[in-house]
Amino acid sequence: MNNRKTVIRFFTIADYEEEEAWLQNQHKNAWKLLRMIFPCFYIFEKSTPEDVAYRLDYQNNAETSNYFQIFRDYGWEYIGQCVGWMYFRKPLSEADSEQDSEIFSDNESRVDMINHVVKTRMCPLCILFLCCVLPNFLRSIGTADPLATVFTVFFSVMTLIYLYLIIYCGLKLRKLRKKYTND
Amino acid sequence: MNSKLKRIYVPMTESGFYILFCLQQPQHGYGISQQVKRMTGGELIISAGTMYGTLSKMEKDELIVFEREEEKRKLYRITELGKEILNLEMKRIERLYKNSKGVEINE
Repeated sequence: MNNRKTVIRFFTIADYEEEEAWLQNQHKNAWKLLRMIFPCFYIFEKSTPEDVAYRLDYQNNAETSNYFQIFRDYGWEYIGQCVGWMYFRKPLSEADSEQDSEIFSDNESRVDMINHVVKTRMCPLCILFLCCVLPNFLRSIGTADPLATVFTVFFSVMTLIYLYLIIYCGLKLRKLRKKYTND
Repeated sequence: MNSKLKRIYVPMTESGFYILFCLQQPQHGYGISQQVKRMTGGELIISAGTMYGTLSKMEKDELIVFEREEEKRKLYRITELGKEILNLEMKRIERLYKNSKGVEINE
């Protein structure tokens, strides 16, 4: 069957705007998002090319039917969620103004979402790094056991990945927050 | 009144003000946005995420309270605390308006 495709693409927690644009572009090329599987699998279905706005909201607590109802009232179709990210879309032909194709209409709420991501995703990432990855890495260096080499390699790779993610996401989220605070 | 709440909500965002103002009558999220659209001649549009976020925050801070549910939609209304904050904000805006018009205020 050629009417489905799975694409592997990795977006960090700070790349949600790029992800939205990428999904919109896929739909323009007749690939409609069916669902997302953590951490980086996107399943698309062949559809007709259309200009559709894709929007991501971050909600890490269990969302109520009221949450979905509000988005539905505004004409947003809920696609699914993936570790706290809620995926919505709306055809641009149905949006009667620029704000109508956005899920946030003021910068305060955009900054609120960024702060929420920092608090519930960036902080745990840093804690995990400082309390688990880094100590294990340091301990594996100090051990003479030949088996320890395997751990050293594993934890040095983990340390590099974590450091990269923390620095990249930290800087990018800060930049986004600045952009919306100064707008 | 809690001075922390006062610091957060006075002054408040334009969306926040209209939402709190509209909740003097029980209303749900989308209903508020339609009402605000009418009141501002379509100038102020409050999007879904902003509406949900503001309602949740105001409910948590007890400025508004859940009234009842109608077809999965939660209806909220303003609380006494919410009214106090709304009044403070209205006074502030009134002063702003009068000063901008060059009217002297004697309080």
